[in-house]
This record gives sequence, structure tokens and C-alpha cells, in this order.
Amino acid sequence: MNDSTIVTDSVKRFKWVGTRPIRPDGVPKVTGRALYGADLKLPGMLYGKILRSPHAHARIRSIDTSAAEKLPGVKAVMTAADLPSQKFDYIGPERVAVNFWHVTRNILAREKALYEGHAIAAVAAISASIAEDAAALIKVDYEVLPHVIDVDDAMAPDAPLLFEDMITRGIEPAPTKPSNISKRLDFAIGDVDAGFKQADVVIEKDFKTAAVHQAYIEPHACVAKYEADGQCEIWSSSQGHFQMRALTAQILGARLGDLRVTPAEIGGGFGGKTVTYLEPVAAILSKKSGLPVRLQMTREDVFRASGPTSGSSMWVKIGVKKDGTIVAAEGIFRFQAGAFPGSPVMNGCLCAFAPYDIPNQRATGFDVVSNRPKAAAYRAPGSPISAFAVESVLDMCAKAIGMDPLALRHKNACRIGTPTIAGPKHAHAGYIETVEALMNHPAYKVKLGPNQGRGVASGYWFNGGGESSATLQVNADGTVLVATGSPDIGGSRASMAIMAAETLGVDYNTVRAIVADTASVGYTHVTGGSRVTFATGTAVVNGAKTVVKELCKRAALIWGVDEEGVVWDDGYAKPAGSNVGDFKPLSLKELAAKAAATGGPITASAGVNAGGQAPGFASQFCDVEVDPETGRVTILRFVAAQDVGRAIHPAYVEGQIQGGVVQGIGWALNEEYIYNSKGLLDNPGFLDYRCPVASDLPMIDAVMVEVPNPTHPYGAKGVGEVGICPPMAAIANAIAAATGKRMTELPISPPRLLAALSA
Amino acid sequence: MVRVAFTSGFARRYTGGVREFEVEAKNLRGVLKAMDALFPGLGEHLEEETTVAINGEYHETGYFQVVPPDAEVFFIPRIEGG
Repeated sequence: MNDSTIVTDSVKRFKWVGTRPIRPDGVPKVTGRALYGADLKLPGMLYGKILRSPHAHARIRSIDTSAAEKLPGVKAVMTAADLPSQKFDYIGPERVAVNFWHVTRNILAREKALYEGHAIAAVAAISASIAEDAAALIKVDYEVLPHVIDVDDAMAPDAPLLFEDMITRGIEPAPTKPSNISKRLDFAIGDVDAGFKQADVVIEKDFKTAAVHQAYIEPHACVAKYEADGQCEIWSSSQGHFQMRALTAQILGARLGDLRVTPAEIGGGFGGKTVTYLEPVAAILSKKSGLPVRLQMTREDVFRASGPTSGSSMWVKIGVKKDGTIVAAEGIFRFQAGAFPGSPVMNGCLCAFAPYDIPNQRATGFDVVSNRPKAAAYRAPGSPISAFAVESVLDMCAKAIGMDPLALRHKNACRIGTPTIAGPKHAHAGYIETVEALMNHPAYKVKLGPNQGRGVASGYWFNGGGESSATLQVNADGTVLVATGSPDIGGSRASMAIMAAETLGVDYNTVRAIVADTASVGYTHVTGGSRVTFATGTAVVNGAKTVVKELCKRAALIWGVDEEGVVWDDGYAKPAGSNVGDFKPLSLKELAAKAAATGGPITASAGVNAGGQAPGFASQFCDVEVDPETGRVTILRFVAAQDVGRAIHPAYVEGQIQGGVVQGIGWALNEEYIYNSKGLLDNPGFLDYRCPVASDLPMIDAVMVEVPNPTHPYGAKGVGEVGICPPMAAIANAIAAATGKRMTELPISPPRLLAALSA
Repeated sequence: MVRVAFTSGFARRYTGGVREFEVEAKNLRGVLKAMDALFPGLGEHLEEETTVAINGEYHETGYFQVVPPDAEVFFIPRIEGG
């Protein structure tokens, strides 16, 4: 627990919002009883296995499944030929456009295998071992092709092409030759060239970052049961069971109404479980066999075939005046998309300079395919990557003009009305308050010793809104059920129950929040984009308000007065005034007991398309010590300030901030995909893919800065993502302060840092 | 009047490079209809391909979004998800 909360408003405190009740999912998880995607077992269930490409890039001449089909115990075999064709078009829900021509080819390869681990065919058998044997009997005739892994190599004119007809979008006139560059993006405001002419100091630098995996503990898993009448049920671990339903329906050519998806508990996602890999395959295997089928990835499958975030190559240039005014900034951001288009490079461009008031900005983005697994979302996708480059150059600028790096950020901090590179002006405050929280933090003044250094960085993330649903039921004993369609990744069951209890004026412990399946609650977007507390929370509050209205109506009936004569106050129906009459207030529990007599069950559903979400801002500093003999970096202290709007459940908010920082530390210091000369991944496991462990870390000091969001009933802002944006630059800046060496490539692993120190 | 703005890439594709317009509208449906009247088919593109910022506040491009008088309505591309 941490009490570092800085409140910037004087709005009244709440009864439940801002408290730290016990998490409702805690007991099943600590006792090992919670059911995850791989835990479900149905009668007659088959075990699926996916055959994956051993090559980084190969044309598939033929696939012979006959030997596998003949193996006793095998009940179904499938390839991409069992899935319908998809139109080449970028369409999709919410703020994400998806091309199903690509998606279906990522689920099962067609013309080519585009990365090691690319799914080629699948089997279902009565045991896992038979399924494995059957997969090994599938004969694939490959024509091995030259491969390309690195983003700069993939952009070279003579690079092996993943798609022989890919013409770069976003360039006019369109190029005449194909390339691996899927798309170019350009954003600009002001006059960048004129801006740089005003600068006293201009610093530019190239940077590279490694692709890193979300590293969720639970591998992807699902069970599908396809009935003869065309109805299909799926149980899966994902960040959005409605999203899994939509993607699966499109891939299968099925109707949404014929699919029912039930969410399992989820063992982490961080963006990586917003896409489908297994569900359509399991569904077809079940359809072909007539039996339920379970598919799950191994850890190696997860690394080889599920989305990491992009690696990148970047160039950033920033101009400042001697007084610290930033007059111009420019960046070129080249992001790996993996084997199919769709990296988060647009986010990288739009977030890069967003915390600052810079009149002249230009960002150019390139979305580049290469022979790696398709990139997926990872916590504030795109923003941490560009922040590493931008915040590193800002640090160099501060040093060049002799200014404290926080003072530089404070001087240039965005405010309401500051233009952003996309065009819209900032509509919400919150950034400068995070900088001030660090400036006032006692640890920022602590003197450091030899080989130690302090680094500062900031970050920005849009946060999300969009469609969410909630259903509330008042039970006869006065307990309340809150059902939403948002898988609980970061504590949403607790925060939904808190907001419902606050709105209803009842004890939190009488409210139970659950995550309902696609047939039991209205459509809800994924748990991602830091949208759930804001959007689904708004749906819950709206539903609770409807319940309150109904409770007042029931009280009016009991008292024989007009509905307008009843108000709801702190969990009780009360007469609106003395002229209404002298009635004893009725509690929710008392009204629930009279539900049958007063009109039947008390229930309410609410659906919203929530807009006006406020963005997330974070500023962090860390102290490191570098071992000059080994290159090892020890994090001595990490202070993370974040504008959280209003912390509905502060312990969960702190956990989100701390989790983001820890993942950022791994990204900064150790995590990377290591490919060999054949384009094969050499470290597909947690032994060699080095995530931080507890002994690597100090206690992360999470400072919650509360600048409430006026568009949310309780002021909430998304908190799950922006915390991962600053750490890479903060650590690189701290290393530069400790050693005098500017590290521009991630990870800053001991061998890489030692080489730099020895140079 | 409402000021409608596009990113340069979007304007290049759909409005002959013109990035700013002024239209009469009270909600986003009105903005989409007004833009569609100027560039037939543009309304559907905006609806399907953009996120919108109304006076800096981000929303999905839904008809019901209220557009205050003299508001700035900025359409930006949807994020690409693969």
C-alpha cells in the first residue's frame, strides 16, 4: 500500500470510490480454483494440435494430410482450405481497422509461411499425444525463400518481399514497385524548418528498439463445441469475448447469433489477447469431428506465433532555445508490423510529442512487414517506442542548455488548448501536475554516489472509450448483481462494484460483479486501451441510476404518493419534502423484499458509446547504478507519477502503475527476440527471454495524481497503459548520467552496455 | 458554424487536399451529411475510417455526438490493427 496520492480538486470525498476493499476474484485465484482457458474439460473433448512452420519464409507447394487422417484416434484435420476466403479490405470495430484477408492467413497460412511458427494445419484427436503424432505426419512441401527480420533490412530496396504485390499506401503518386513498406503516415503542424532555425541547440539521434512480448503468464487457450444445428459455443481466455466472437464469426463465415463465447479467467493479456489465433481453428475442428475441441499454445508457441509489440528504428530531432523553449521537433518512426501490416506506428507518431507544447512538429511513420510473428497491441501500443527516442533527445537537450530535465518538461508542458500533431487541441489537463509531483518528491533531491545516475522521462496515451454494456439485478435479499461484458484484467470487478455501490448508496459487500458471456449481457468492446473503468464504468453507473429511479417508483407506490415525491439519499428512498408526508425511509433491502408486490424483479440494463475520455499522462524518474566491470544496471529507485483522474480502487491503480514500470524496466534492460541466421527464434522461453523478477526491482513508488475527468461520473481516467511509456527513456537517461554514455538501442543489456563502456 | 478539419493524408485522399471546412450542424450526423453533400460518399468514409475529436474530446464517429456551436470537429484515421 502506498499513500502517495496528490489530489488537485476539492470535490467531495466518496463513501466507496477511493477505498481499497478486498478483490472479489482474490480467493479463487490464491486457492488455485479460478478457471482459466486451459482448465475447461467437456465430455468427449478432443485435444487439438497445430502444425507450425519450421521456416522463416517459405512458399507452400502442397500440404498432404492423408497420413494424419489415417492415424487411429484422429477425428479431424484441417488446413486453410477449410476456411472461407476473405475480402482484401481494412474494416473493423472501434478505432481499429482490420484486414481479414491478412487475419485469416495469420490463423492458418495459405500461399506462404511468413515466419517460424506460422500455423500451417491442425488436428484433433482423442489424446494430446495422438494429436502431436498426427501433426508430425502432415507432409508440407516447402520452397524455402530468403527471409528478412530487421526493420531497416526489410525496407532496403533489395529486401526479400513477403508480398510480391504490396504497394506502399500513403504515398502519392503510389510507388510502382512493391516493397515491405505497407504504409507511410505523415503528420505535421506549424513550420518545422522555420522552427529549427529559431533554435539555439538542435540535437538529433538514431534509435532502435527490440520487439518485446507482452509475456502474460497464461498461454492462449480455448475450447469450442460446434453443434449439428450450427450453434457454436466457445470458452476462451481473451481480453474481449465479444471481440473473439466477432473475429471468429468473420473468419468462419458464421452469424454472430450462432456463436456464444464465455470468458475464462485471464492470466494476463496486456494487449496481446485482443486478437484471435485459436478460436476459429478449434471451431472448425469441432465442426468436422462433431465433438468439443480444446486448443492451447505452449510457451514456445506463444513466443513464436503470437504478437509481440513492434521493434523499431527511429530518428528524432529536437530544437530548443537557451531558455528551454522547445521550438521544433521531428521524428521518423519505422515500426515492425511482423508478417502482416498493422503495427502501432500511427500511435507512435501521434503520442511522440503529445505531452509538450511545441508549435512546429513533424512525424513520419512507416509500417513495415518482415518475417516475424504479427505484432499485436502491448500496453499503450506504439507510444513507449517513440517516447524512448523523444525523451532521450529531450534529456540531451536539457543537458546541452544546462537545465534540469524536469524543469525543461515543466516549461514546455501541454495544457488545455495546446495543439497536438494530429490537429485536435488537448481538451484535458493532467500532465504538468505529474511533473510537479516529481519536482516536489523528496527523493528527487537525494544525492547519488559513484557510478549512479538519475533519469527523467514522460509519456502520453490517448485512453479509450467506446461501447460497453452492463446489467444490474436487485436480488430479493437486497444484494445486487452487476454483470458486464468486460473481462477483468486489472480489477474491473472490484471497481464496477465500487461504482455501483456508490451510486446506489449501499454497502460494497452487498454488490457482486461478474463478467457475463456474449449471450447474457450487451455488446462490449475489448478490455484494452485503458477504457473499461471509464466506459464500462459509465454503463454501470447509468444502470445503477435507472435502478435508483425504479426503487423510488416502488417506494412511491408503497406510500401512495407521486413518483416525483420520492428522492434517493444514501441508500434510502425518502420523501422529497415535508409536504409529501411523514414516511419512514425505505432501504434498498426493504424495497427489494417488496419487489414482487410492487411490480416484479428490479433490474436495469445500460449501453453506452462513451466518448470524452481523458488521456493519460505519466512522468517518472529513476536512479540506477552501473557496474562498470559487467555492464549490469541495478535500479536503485523508481518513482512513477501518473494522472489517474480519480482512483476508484487505489490499490489496483497503484498496481497498474507499478506493473507498467516493471514491464518497461524489462523492455529497457533485457527483453528481446534473438533470431539466428536462418530467421529462427533462439530464445522462445522465459529462461532465455529475460523478464524482470522480484529480485531485480526496488519497490516502485507509485504517485497517483488526481485531476478528475469531468466526463466520467466519478472522474475516472484510464490508468492501465501510460505507465509503460516513460521507463525505457528514464533508464537510458539515468545510465547516461551515470556513465556519460548515451545508449540508443534497446535492450541496454549487460553485454551491450559493457561494449559501449569499453569503446 | 462548425469548423471541420482533416489530417493531410485524409484530405489528400478525399477532399482534393482541402483540410478545413465550415458547416452547419448540431450533431455529428449533421456534420457527416454536410460533408457528404460536398463530397458524395465522404460521409461513409468518415463513418467507417475515422475517430473524431470534438473540441479536442475524442469520440467514436457516432451520429448522436453533440456538436456545440463554433466547435472544432477533427477527423483522424482509425488505428490499424492488422
